[in-house]
Amino acid sequence: MVKVTLAALALIGFAGHATAQERPQPKPLAVGAQAPAFSLPAATKDGVSPKAASLADFRGQTVVLAFFPKARTGG
Amino acid sequence: MNAYRDQYATIFNGGKGVAAFAVSVDPDTTLASWAAENRYPVTFLSDVGADVGKKYGVAIETRIGMLNARVVYLIGPDGKIAHVMSPFRETDPTAYQELEAAVDRLAK
Repeated sequence: MVKVTLAALALIGFAGHATAQERPQPKPLAVGAQAPAFSLPAATKDGVSPKAASLADFRGQTVVLAFFPKARTGG
Repeated sequence: MNAYRDQYATIFNGGKGVAAFAVSVDPDTTLASWAAENRYPVTFLSDVGADVGKKYGVAIETRIGMLNARVVYLIGPDGKIAHVMSPFRETDPTAYQELEAAVDRLAK
């Protein structure tokens, strides 16, 4: 019985491992790290912005960066 | 995203001292039309290829290509990461309360 249970656990563990490999999880930066610079095309409800948005332009302000997978996905 | 819109003034101090960006791999034209349809008040950033997502450790390979996971960063006025919400639970009202409290702490 113990052997069967262990074998089952090993199988579950293996399956879990395989799933984790197929679906990599994000590895976010830690609090206190320097925020990496970026410059990206920007858009608002008024249309595509003529100028890219750069993090450097917002030094001295609080910046909220909300990453999300895809538009029109309910989030 | 609707929750961001509806609570924008509260969460982001009405934009005073706070710049709010929503980042995805969508083209800027897609983001602009989506924002217009829903009157979203935030600025969207188009991270095609998830290059910025990679720098921030949030890019993940999926069946439909590279996407950015739902992770919210707060960057302080000093340019350092001040708060991380990973994953950001977009359907959980307490996630927005946590975000609002973190913005308040930083944007005083």
